[in-house]
Amino acid sequence: MTPTWVVDRVESDLDGFHLGPVGLTIPPASAVAVLGASGAGKTTLLRTLAGFVPVRRGRILRDGQDISSWLPEERNLGYVPQGLGLLPHRTVEGNVRYPLELRGAADTGARARELLDRFGLGRLARRYPTRLSGGEQQRVAIARALAASPELIVWDEPWQGLDVLARHDLGVVLEQLRETERVPVVVVTHDPGLAFSVADTFLVLSEGRVREQGDAASLLRAPSDPFAARFVGFENVFPPAELIGGTRGSLRTWLLERAGPEGIAFAAPSLPVGPGPGATWSGRVRAARPSPHGFAIELVSDDLTVHLRLPGPIVERAPALGTTIGFAIDPTSLHPLGRRVVASPEGS
Amino acid sequence: MSEGAGGAPPPAPARRWRTGPLWLALQIALSGSLLLLFVIPIVALFTYAPFHDIVSAYGDPAVREALWLTFFASGIAVLTAVVFGIPLGYVLARRKFPGRAVVESLVALPVVVPHLMVGLGLFFLVIPGTPGYRFTQAIGFPVYDTIWGVVLVMVFVSAPYTVLASELSFRAVDGRVLEAARSLGAGSATAFLTVTFPLALRGIVAGLLLSWARAVSEIGGLLILAYAVYPGGPYTGPVTSTISVLIYNLFQNGNLTEAAAVSSLFLLFAFALFLIVRLGERSGWVPWRRGELAP
Repeated sequence: MTPTWVVDRVESDLDGFHLGPVGLTIPPASAVAVLGASGAGKTTLLRTLAGFVPVRRGRILRDGQDISSWLPEERNLGYVPQGLGLLPHRTVEGNVRYPLELRGAADTGARARELLDRFGLGRLARRYPTRLSGGEQQRVAIARALAASPELIVWDEPWQGLDVLARHDLGVVLEQLRETERVPVVVVTHDPGLAFSVADTFLVLSEGRVREQGDAASLLRAPSDPFAARFVGFENVFPPAELIGGTRGSLRTWLLERAGPEGIAFAAPSLPVGPGPGATWSGRVRAARPSPHGFAIELVSDDLTVHLRLPGPIVERAPALGTTIGFAIDPTSLHPLGRRVVASPEGS
Repeated sequence: MSEGAGGAPPPAPARRWRTGPLWLALQIALSGSLLLLFVIPIVALFTYAPFHDIVSAYGDPAVREALWLTFFASGIAVLTAVVFGIPLGYVLARRKFPGRAVVESLVALPVVVPHLMVGLGLFFLVIPGTPGYRFTQAIGFPVYDTIWGVVLVMVFVSAPYTVLASELSFRAVDGRVLEAARSLGAGSATAFLTVTFPLALRGIVAGLLLSWARAVSEIGGLLILAYAVYPGGPYTGPVTSTISVLIYNLFQNGNLTEAAAVSSLFLLFAFALFLIVRLGERSGWVPWRRGELAP
């Protein structure tokens, strides 16, 4: 039976960097994405969970049992560090056998081969990790982690260095893990798009502190500040400083009137303007980039850089650069940003 | 763009140089000059001592005793470096403690100090009449003019290379690989034996080879502490000396041909040893290069 993990107001320190407090519940078969820019404390959080950074305050609970002071090898969680941490002096099979050998398992060969076959690594069994592609190495790492029968997998930057196809495959693997093994997964990433593709709970860190926490809907509905808003993927994010100084009736003033104390955010409005309510503005096209969804358009209106979308199948002709076009912003799409206290700590 | 309109494209012109010819010439000239400097004295040695002289040098019991002494003592010195030098390198690589800079400087000291000074220092420590002399006698390891003196000097001048190489090699082991192993269930000792040590082994072996080379080539400290080696301990033969001291004596006494012959003989042994190790690394039968080689 896979246990439920609870991170209860955990704080830790590493080389002058302070993390926390972080509160989080990780039920079986769940997936948590820890988001944040470089240096936000994502890796420190994972290493704290894995037992490499001591917990200074708070507790890590495994089905109610405090394991905060347990050694890394006692925690039975599969920690996959950045760069995967494959053993370079062991073959693919040697890597997958490693945790089995440590446990003194009798049938290491059979179990290893089963895992290798499951992840399509059978023909690579005799190779050394440095001779594999990024995606293959990724699969070795996950097969090896599973060989240890972990009760939680914590994975630092799983998508690092993967091409688009390998990224997709990895998403499928993570999905299978949750469904068939019911092993919960905590992944760290700086890419919200990838996080949304696999996780059901999100934790946005900045400078060691939890800035945002919740499921996808709550995160998208009410981001707390410009950082979080940009992070969850809002294309248009304006802190108050950028909105001040507009004339009466201008776009900046219109947005400022609707902004929260930390500014305002909205997803790229679609072009052309459809029927329905919406103020009409105009701006000069600065860039138009083709995408499978149409064109992503960047224009300047009232000194603000506004991102728009021209949806539909690939349009032959993008709006010419420098031309002025009209657009509308649906007032219901606006998200005022204001600091909320993240109701985080568990078990308090 | 349309393709294949005119059949197969013309073959690309064969390129003779993968790098620019000037750049290649510079590399050959610079590295070749140094190699030449290494080779010329050796050629001179072999010219001065024809092959039959080398063979007869090997037949000389005095030479064989000196060879045995040199290889035995240097072997013990390397073993000492393994037992004490590798752990010291590990401590320096992984532990933070006050006075670390002092310890690191102490380790480097035997490398930079003239070896006559090393011999002199040890000499004052263990000559008859000193507490050091009485102590070494009491524990059964007298060092003045004995095989243990040779070992002592050799350890002193050679072990730092193992310590320094071990420290660098342990430092180079990726901490994330180690953390992954710990998380997979390896305790700290198991992780050291199955991850850290195998990954550092190649650098450590390079350090041990350097240590051995330094030990067998030692003469300065030996001239003072163990110029002549009297029977005692594992050595039971007549009075002898290390091969370096022997060559020095032959040269001093004007036996130039014999000095050249003994030198050539020793060179052949040393060259063979290094060649075996390098070929072993190439073929992959040594454990410390696994993973770097195909497949």
